[in-house]
Amino acid sequence: MMQKKAKFAIGSILIVGAIGYLISTGISTTSQYFFTVDELMSQNVSYAGAGLKVKGNVVNGSIARDEENFLKIKFTIEDKQSNLNVVYEGITPDMFKDGQEVVVEGTLAQDGVFHANTLLTSCPSKYEAEKEAGKTHPGALPNQGMNKDPYPKSSEPLPKTTI
Amino acid sequence: MNDIGEFTLLVALATAIYGCVSYVMSINGNRIDLYLSADKTPVIVWGCVLVSSIALLQAFLTDDFSLQYVWAYSNRELDTFYKVSSFWGGQKGSLLFWALLLTTYMTVVYFQNRKRNIRLMPYAMTVMLIIVIFFLFLLNFSTNPFERIPLPPEDGRGLNPLLQNYWMVIHPPTLYLGYVGFTVPFAFAMAALFTKNLDDGWIRLTRKWTLLAWFFLCMGNLFGASWAYVELGWGGYWAWDPVENAAFMPLLIATAFLHSIQIQEKKDMMKVWNMSLVLLTFVMTIFGTFITRSGLIQSVHTFDEATLGYYFLAFLAVIVLICVGLIVKRLPLLKSKNELDSFLSRESSFLINNLVLLGIAFATFWGTIFPIISEAVRGVKITVGPPFYNQVNVPIGLVLLALIGIGPVIAWRRATWSNLKKNFLIPCVAGLIAAAALFPVVPLKERAEIFAYLTFILCVFVMSCILIEFFKGARARADMNNGNFVSELGTLTWRNKRRYGGYIVHVGVVLIFAGIAGSQAYGIHDQKHLKIGESIQLRDYTITYEKLTAVEATSVKTRIIAELGVYKNNQRIWTGRPEKEFYKGQNQPVSEVDVLSTIKEDVYIILADFREDESATIKVYLNPMVSWLWTGGWVIAFGTGICMWPDRLEQRRRLERMKQQEAIFAPAQE
Repeated sequence: MMQKKAKFAIGSILIVGAIGYLISTGISTTSQYFFTVDELMSQNVSYAGAGLKVKGNVVNGSIARDEENFLKIKFTIEDKQSNLNVVYEGITPDMFKDGQEVVVEGTLAQDGVFHANTLLTSCPSKYEAEKEAGKTHPGALPNQGMNKDPYPKSSEPLPKTTI
Repeated sequence: MNDIGEFTLLVALATAIYGCVSYVMSINGNRIDLYLSADKTPVIVWGCVLVSSIALLQAFLTDDFSLQYVWAYSNRELDTFYKVSSFWGGQKGSLLFWALLLTTYMTVVYFQNRKRNIRLMPYAMTVMLIIVIFFLFLLNFSTNPFERIPLPPEDGRGLNPLLQNYWMVIHPPTLYLGYVGFTVPFAFAMAALFTKNLDDGWIRLTRKWTLLAWFFLCMGNLFGASWAYVELGWGGYWAWDPVENAAFMPLLIATAFLHSIQIQEKKDMMKVWNMSLVLLTFVMTIFGTFITRSGLIQSVHTFDEATLGYYFLAFLAVIVLICVGLIVKRLPLLKSKNELDSFLSRESSFLINNLVLLGIAFATFWGTIFPIISEAVRGVKITVGPPFYNQVNVPIGLVLLALIGIGPVIAWRRATWSNLKKNFLIPCVAGLIAAAALFPVVPLKERAEIFAYLTFILCVFVMSCILIEFFKGARARADMNNGNFVSELGTLTWRNKRRYGGYIVHVGVVLIFAGIAGSQAYGIHDQKHLKIGESIQLRDYTITYEKLTAVEATSVKTRIIAELGVYKNNQRIWTGRPEKEFYKGQNQPVSEVDVLSTIKEDVYIILADFREDESATIKVYLNPMVSWLWTGGWVIAFGTGICMWPDRLEQRRRLERMKQQEAIFAPAQE
């Protein structure tokens, strides 16, 4: 009877151990450091090349789009004391604009430029704690980047028809 | 009306406290007069919360912006439909909504059980009232939805356009019904612990409630996924965001609970385990709420009212302490009469199923709270994203998938080689045939593709296990009654609702597994800035950008619509019309994607950006097999419906089983 119990205990431990192993290797191979711009800049260790996630606010007027490739953008994010240049290629979220708090994921190159492969915006506090508002996912809403005033005025030369 | 709403909230709190105290006193002092008085409180509390909810709804419908909450989530131009949904659009209202659902459940439980289960009821009601008190306390003193603005503004701020979607009316209530529903089994489990009625009585009493809550939670998760898919335009349906994880973890643990209670019912085993699982499920629903309300965990969302999170944390700590203490105290009484015999048995397959489900839940939990832990331990915030969850949960999920096939078929107690062969030979052969047939067809280069391949093989294996069960049962009946095979299939299911309903749920789960594998492994996408007439090429699809139009849909909404011709092998099959909507007074546009959904794959088109020269940035996803997920969801709903349907035969079977067990165990008891 004890033997039976021991057998099942060992079996369960094996399963639990396997799951634990998966979790620990998962953490070590996929985790990213999460810094604010200030924290990143004050680090003694160089994080060049490592997977990083950095939070900061978009510097006013820093968003520049590549004339050739409409999807490529450069911008700067800042914190209290320092700032960071970011390049990103892809669709920008709806709320990506000057002053907006953003989180970028990617790697820091040797020259200090951050190459982002993901760009996330935080929701404005208005849509706060509600979990459904939480449905605004990472990079969820593609934006029409250029339009500063998102509500198009009727004077704008857009083709107008009624379906 | 607002005064009434505020007042009834206070009355509800007072009544709930009175009811709770007098239930406890009547139990301790054996005072029937107090009991009779306490027994009126659940209905009164429910009535008060209902009146309060009606008052808030009334404020929304009549545009009463003197209430801060109404001002923050509604405006005059909002559709009536969405004014109703604004009720649960924000923190305060959603807590009131929670309280309303909780007291409604409580009242239904009260009327259902007050005559039948007089021993457990006072305790169960006390537990439920304590939880109600917690929410009413928050509503009265921390997040009062009836908070006034001294000088009422002319108009409200309006509801986030993202939430102006019919899913907003369906998804949150469904999820809440699931969350709140687990209070019922939890309350009865605690009642069983207090009264030392530790047979499977509480499980039978609450089986339907558990199923119902599980069903709503499952549907809530799927509705959320499908909302995200059609509304948010990032081409996916699940992002392993903390908020999603918060809804996913209780679902996993509840699934484990639903399975392990069957072992307790049939074999009188795993009692401590079941107590712990029901506690854990309930704790996870509160923890989920804590995550979403506290802002402790970095999510892409900004949260406010951080203090609320600490109330939840404190409540959580108290519950866990009391319950764990109680379970430990009752350990001697929770001893099982039977024990596991062999690894190759249904009992142990259920045990493994439980461990695996909890493993997925734990991995998800660990990933969700890892930033906090790493900051506390190492001083650096380290986060994990979707790659972590995929890397960990996919292999564990595959084991789970295999168990869906093995568990229901393998013999009880101890499976011998001969019955293993009898049960699994055909499914294994089917799996191997699928493996051989798929091998030349599917790509197998990347990790995801290999996992998808394995998933498809296992899906075939599990489906054949389930279908053989149906086939065998119906065949036996048809031979016995000389009946028609198809009609016997129906009768079989109808006569054994729990068993075959469960199998149908399994079929739905298999479809979901297949859908996830297909869409995650073989999905491709492309984005391009197009002038009119230019196109994007994806596999055998050509998507040509044809025209851009602006439509003033209503006085508050302007729609910019792009038209794209979708050609497959040079044959025009569909016109996609993704759009961007601009709402007056909102500083962000809302993207409306357009999807052509087929069994094989979805063509998913987003209008990402447009210019004055009518050029536009278009992103196109080809997502294979996404519709399998939604189909799986409906199959699960159908199967759960069958499981929940009242079954007289089941009751008779249970009585017979109890008689047998009594015959066996009666001499052993005094």
